[in-house]
Amino acid sequence: MKKKNKPVNIAKAAKTTSLYIIVTGLVAIILLPIYFVVSLSFLSTREAYRYPLPLYPALETKFELTHGKRGYLLSVYDRVESEYRTIKDTSDLEDMSLFMKYQLGTPMTVAEIEREVARLETQDVIRFSHRRNLLSNYQTFFKVTRNAVPALTRSLQICALTIVISLSIGGMAGYAFARYIFKGRNALKFSVLFVRMFPGVAIAMPMVIILADLGFYDKPMGLALVYSVGSIALTVWITASIFMGIPVSLEEAALVFGATKLQAFRRITLPLALPGLAACAMYAFLGAWNETISAIILTQFNPTFSVVVYQTLIGATGQVNLAAAGGIAMALPAIVFTFFIRRYIHQMWGGVTV
Amino acid sequence: MPREWRRAWGRATPYLLILPVVLYYAAFWLRPVLDAVIGSFTGLDGTFTFENFNMVFQDEHFVPALKNTAIIVIFSVTLEFLMALLLALIINRKFFGSGIFLFLAMIPMALPAVAVGAMWSTGLTAHGWINSLRHYLGFTGKVYWLAGSELQLLALIIIIDAWQVIPSVMIILLAGLQNIPEETKEAGYVFGGNYLTVLRKITLPMLKPTIQTAVILRLISAIQIWLIMVILLGFSRLPVMVERVVFYHDEVSNLEISRQMALGYTIIVSVIVSMAALAYLQVSGAFKREAEEVV
Amino acid sequence: MATLTLDNVTKQFGKKVTAVNHFNLKVHDGEFLVLLGPSGCGKTTAMRMVAGLEEVTDGRIYIDDADVTDLPPRKRNVSMVFQNYAVWPHMTVYENISYALKLKRMDKKTIDDIVHDVAAMTKISELVERYPSQLSGGQQQRVAVARAIAVSPKIFLMDEPLSNLDAKLRVSMRTELKAIHTKTGATTVFVTHDQSEAMSMADRIVIMKDGEVEQIGGPDDVYHDSANLFVASFIGTPPTNFMDVALTVADGDTCLVNPHINLELNDENAALLKGYERKALIIGVRPENILFVGAEEAILSAECLVVEPQGSHQVVAIELDDQLVKIVAPPRLKIRPGENVHLAFEQEAIHFFDKETGARI
Repeated sequence: MKKKNKPVNIAKAAKTTSLYIIVTGLVAIILLPIYFVVSLSFLSTREAYRYPLPLYPALETKFELTHGKRGYLLSVYDRVESEYRTIKDTSDLEDMSLFMKYQLGTPMTVAEIEREVARLETQDVIRFSHRRNLLSNYQTFFKVTRNAVPALTRSLQICALTIVISLSIGGMAGYAFARYIFKGRNALKFSVLFVRMFPGVAIAMPMVIILADLGFYDKPMGLALVYSVGSIALTVWITASIFMGIPVSLEEAALVFGATKLQAFRRITLPLALPGLAACAMYAFLGAWNETISAIILTQFNPTFSVVVYQTLIGATGQVNLAAAGGIAMALPAIVFTFFIRRYIHQMWGGVTV
Repeated sequence: MPREWRRAWGRATPYLLILPVVLYYAAFWLRPVLDAVIGSFTGLDGTFTFENFNMVFQDEHFVPALKNTAIIVIFSVTLEFLMALLLALIINRKFFGSGIFLFLAMIPMALPAVAVGAMWSTGLTAHGWINSLRHYLGFTGKVYWLAGSELQLLALIIIIDAWQVIPSVMIILLAGLQNIPEETKEAGYVFGGNYLTVLRKITLPMLKPTIQTAVILRLISAIQIWLIMVILLGFSRLPVMVERVVFYHDEVSNLEISRQMALGYTIIVSVIVSMAALAYLQVSGAFKREAEEVV
Repeated sequence: MATLTLDNVTKQFGKKVTAVNHFNLKVHDGEFLVLLGPSGCGKTTAMRMVAGLEEVTDGRIYIDDADVTDLPPRKRNVSMVFQNYAVWPHMTVYENISYALKLKRMDKKTIDDIVHDVAAMTKISELVERYPSQLSGGQQQRVAVARAIAVSPKIFLMDEPLSNLDAKLRVSMRTELKAIHTKTGATTVFVTHDQSEAMSMADRIVIMKDGEVEQIGGPDDVYHDSANLFVASFIGTPPTNFMDVALTVADGDTCLVNPHINLELNDENAALLKGYERKALIIGVRPENILFVGAEEAILSAECLVVEPQGSHQVVAIELDDQLVKIVAPPRLKIRPGENVHLAFEQEAIHFFDKETGARI
């Protein structure tokens, strides 16, 4: 009998193609904004204010040099207009070098400029190009924005503390929920959700006084304590489901072969729970790293990195490309961690329901 | 260890394990919450009063904030849920590259709110990248995204928020989807269903607990939206509840009534969130199920 | 009620894995056909292709002469009982059974009648308003069966439906399923890895291994007339005993010999094995075809290793060169471990196999 596969294959192919079209469209929607901010963070200050914005950052800048009224006329190749635009008329090469560095992200030393200028002896107009420092915005952000670097270290400290606090306290409770049936178990489960219903803001304000009393106001430990409140709730939920996924019989086997409960936990349960716990830690990290409002309230002179970027954004101090650089710098650790735990996140949520 | 001690120790273990959590929450959650509640009822002179709430209710921005928050919550939760469900269903089909697609889909969720704020604020200005992109695609003229009517701005906020939030909802739904055994769905096909029928009558009903979890978490967060609005529009232009709190605590913190207003708004937000969550739980029957389980 | 034909059906996963290889089969109307084989032999894949849950890489499938190969499951008029029952947990038993009927737009009264009919047939009438979580495994399985009967399909498919039940329930459900089959007269394809299940239920058995069909035949055929080594080893419990032997012809007597055995062949078997003098041979003898005889008539003598009394019979095991040979003995014969026993084979029942090909001679 002859095969009649053709019409079915066309229908199937059509379905698969439309699926891929939808997926591609979604990927574009996801990546486009990200792409543009990243690109913006690499653009020079001059280009960042051009309209329309260049589609991608330039790897090098093209210059044109000729004699000008006050010395030398420097023009730069504008990618938007596709022609050279005059930007400076000066004989001060130092000034030129600084302009190139800060406005164009092109680190050209005075000596290098002198060399090009020398060529003007024999020609009327000379053109040259110089590579750009793509990371200039990032460097400037960290240098110019006061507090940036210390804020960064502070944020990292806070994240580490939050992880330690929430995993230890939350993990213990999670284990209790997983292994034991005790009075008030269901009530506690619900209350864990209930905790999230009170906005972080609300807690932050009274916490100012409480932390001040403890001596933790405006200190990393203070914020870690506050962040852990939200983090512990989630950790309990998630560790409970992780531990429930590890059969009790494994621990019991260890007990039969001579271990104490603690040893059984340390050597059998903990290693098996590690992937899930790692994911929990990452969630705690992300929560602490990204949080802004409590940080605003609970710090004054020692802000977190998130607060610094926020201030740059809404303050007048922010240049567009610098703000972009700050934002991307803040986003990087988050994305890196997400990459590592993407598989575990799914595992974590598998057993969790209200 | 004598036997009675060991037995008592064993029975006490779970309670000992949860003791740290209980103590922690008592110190760092319960106490601040009580402080906040008490503070909201405390007047400038230290006496018990409803004055703070009166001031909040009479604040010219109170009703707009309430209204804006409500609109944002209703539309964004709905939009985000539907889109996340669509995404989860697509990824669940496990096509070639679905793993990478999953990672890409998770990125917006991982971005700090300030980064997302930077992203959209640089995009939505007249010279921003959105208009630049339009220019390259051939559309002339600039759209003044941030100068629209209130409704347009609300729509903008909802879309931007959705962009960031959909992945987190999607992940929860995806986990739930993958917990449904393949055979249970196949039976739906064998016994007469096409894709939509099986989706409607089998997959979604079985996904109900997961959907509830996702929606309620999203609901709680949506009511507390503020950062993206401040970054894009500044304070007071399109007020929402938590934005008011930050406004009084941070922007105008040296006013005499600042603290009172901030606390007042805070308590009101908390009440709204709690009521909304409880209402949702009640409507979706979570309490009923919980009772059945215990029985 | 219909016939099912699989015409050269092949299933490949990716480029390397061939799960089903050129499968040809005609199932008769009303037949109870069993697909039997070890895990991974392709039996479930074959059935899922019939259901429409797997795509066919090559070949065609016909139900009652209509080509269904490209049709989705719901258009094929088949029903299926899954290994894990796959009853829908959010629906009552009633709703589970009536799901398909509602999709067919039947009126309420008809649906109601059908549901109660099949519930009675599967003995779950009192459970009709319950949810699956409130039922035991066996009860859920009956729901799955009732659901499958309710749609009056052309073909019944059952994918190891009894494997998840405990032993006693499994045996009783066997009988019940067979009774339902007799009553409805429906064409049924049944997948299992349990050979005793296959033997007790099938009209015909298809024995599969690694995607290939090893033999198709009725229980008697595959048992007494095994086509090859694999079939002979797979069917029957305790399993067939295999021994390597060599053919010798001396003084007009054709014998099969190995270090422990000297078997003089009768004329029939001698003629059968003509030409196999230099080929490697294997004989297969079923435990019940080995007899306890006196020392002089013995083909094989050995020390008894273990005796397992089973009530109606005993299973005696002897050891030959690291190989266990099991014999079914009458219950009252007194044999003790360590005793020397003398055995003979019933010649008509011996299977001869070419060692190289595994095929039956």
